[in-house]
Amino acid sequence: MSLSHFQTEFDKMMNRDYFSDKIHPMRQKAFTKFLETGLPTQKWEDWRFTNLSEITKENFRISEIQDAPINPIDLSEFEIDGVADIVIYNGHFQEDISSVPDGVQLMSGVDYLEKKNWEFNPAEHSPFDLLNTAFMDSGMSIMIDNGIVVEQPIRMIFLSSSEEKLMVSPVVHIELGESASATFIEHHCGNSNSFFENGSTYITLGQNAQLDHIRIQSNSSESINMANLNVEQFEDSRYSFLQFAEGGKLGRLNIHADLKGEGADCSLNGLALSTDTQHLDNHIITDHRVPHCTSSQNFKSVLQNKSSGVFNGRTIVREDAQKTDSSQSNKNLLLSKNALMNSNPQLEIYADDVKCAHGSTTGALDENALFYLRSRGLDVLAAKALMVRGFANELLDKIKHDSIRSFITERFDHWLTENTNA
Amino acid sequence: MMLKIENLHAGVDGKEILNGINLSMKPGEMHAIMGRNGSGKSTLSNVITGREGYDITNGDVLFNGESILDWSPEDRSLAGIFMSFQYPVVIPGVNNTYFLKAALNAKRKHLGEKELDAAGFLKLIKEKLNEVDMDSKYLQRAVNDGFSGGEKKRNEILQMLTLEPSLAILDETDSGLDIDALKIIANGVNQYRNEKRSFLVITHYQRLLKYIEPDFVHVLIDGQIVKSGGKELAVELEEKGYRWLES
Repeated sequence: MSLSHFQTEFDKMMNRDYFSDKIHPMRQKAFTKFLETGLPTQKWEDWRFTNLSEITKENFRISEIQDAPINPIDLSEFEIDGVADIVIYNGHFQEDISSVPDGVQLMSGVDYLEKKNWEFNPAEHSPFDLLNTAFMDSGMSIMIDNGIVVEQPIRMIFLSSSEEKLMVSPVVHIELGESASATFIEHHCGNSNSFFENGSTYITLGQNAQLDHIRIQSNSSESINMANLNVEQFEDSRYSFLQFAEGGKLGRLNIHADLKGEGADCSLNGLALSTDTQHLDNHIITDHRVPHCTSSQNFKSVLQNKSSGVFNGRTIVREDAQKTDSSQSNKNLLLSKNALMNSNPQLEIYADDVKCAHGSTTGALDENALFYLRSRGLDVLAAKALMVRGFANELLDKIKHDSIRSFITERFDHWLTENTNA
Repeated sequence: MMLKIENLHAGVDGKEILNGINLSMKPGEMHAIMGRNGSGKSTLSNVITGREGYDITNGDVLFNGESILDWSPEDRSLAGIFMSFQYPVVIPGVNNTYFLKAALNAKRKHLGEKELDAAGFLKLIKEKLNEVDMDSKYLQRAVNDGFSGGEKKRNEILQMLTLEPSLAILDETDSGLDIDALKIIANGVNQYRNEKRSFLVITHYQRLLKYIEPDFVHVLIDGQIVKSGGKELAVELEEKGYRWLES
């Protein structure tokens, strides 16, 4: 997709009359900046290991009203017991089959910005942040007021189903007031083969608020999935994030977590499963701006065939952020000699009284362990599957809700069955 | 004959380690193979259980009359061969119960028996735990993860008791054990011993053989059995060492 093609699609966006005019200056500003930089290239340090030709070689178009579903959507394949679903289909909100639990205010992105008096500064960390702002389509916002504890998990399903080469740019705002708590799942799925999703999620956690956030990336293994996650945490808030990624020809998770209030805790976790020529990239930044915060990054990748992956984790501890306690871990399992992992855990510490640990390991399945399991009667496939499962269990066990954990574990087992060959 | 090893020659990377081993074991017999480090003891147990990486240049290994050298490790296990590892392997993230249940059910499936559900397995494993004096908390841990040397060896014997092999190879099971753990393990082995089950005990020292009495003792030097005898041979070795047997 060339810049001129982006321009064509952008012009279409700006001609839409069903978006508030107030949003146009925001779009225009972001798009102008995007045109200045263009898409990242591998000469950019942050994009060294990630080839974006999957995006440049195709011409995507923005999703139009005709891309909304004609027939009722069948969600049975994605069912998770006990969750409230918000459905977005090819970038179109499906109000009739969406619901939220009591205590949750669901509104469109425009209504949210209106409520904020348009005082919102979109992220500009990468060209994909800019693209998201320029093209944002299915804006959805969730607000939970002070003190409200929402037990029922809320899930946004981003379903893509189209023969067309669609580009969607969902933006989600989640705001939890003081001492509010919730579980949020974003589930990206669907069978579209040539699909470019560039989604942004903005999360703000008030004092003592708590959010469990699970991101499931199960789209077709031919799709492109850029995820830009911006987290802002205030005093004593707790944020726990886990991504389960199995889909996407090209997937990149960009996280910026800002710890702005003392006592905040931020736990970022990811499990990426890749095969064939998939490339799944994690680019994670945790920024300790104030004292007494704790954080962890725990990312694992399992790579089969010619797939590749990246872990680029940075933990920044600013001068004021004394008594920071943080850890970074990246472990990768190569199931094939042709798989490639780039791991780069980094600590950037400007304070002197902190506790920071980091580590990274990449390797094949342990032959001794494999023989041990086989000597107990397990066949090669069962033994390998058991070991890969063992590798991932630490992360799967972090999912607190039983039904969500079961759903993801089933997806995981399915992947194992398909991808643990002898 | 349960196990028959015929003129077995095997090595690694062109270097011959076993130079013509001959050994016959009947059901119910316990044989001890004694030898110093580097004599070929571990190679022998690895070749019998099917570990990859060994070139078998001559000879055969028969189990119940069938040559097993082409069999996978899992097929040998399912047929009834078990090895208690000298160095039991840690398998991070894999729950010990889950592992034991998967192994037992693989065996039951092979025998055409119904697979055990969680409750059925738990009942069975609790009995076996008692026999090796292990706390049930070990079931909840990852396989051998954070286990002491003695706990690992007990976990091996627990697996033996659970999988009920007809041939158990105990590879240096006594190494690194204190006297209490040694007695517990010997007790587990003795309880398991009967006229249908055979044991091949591989050891450096006579220590374990005080508690589990072998019917036959073989001395392995440079990949060959240089002397065979009854249990008194182990005592003799303890007194005299191995040097008098070297040519």
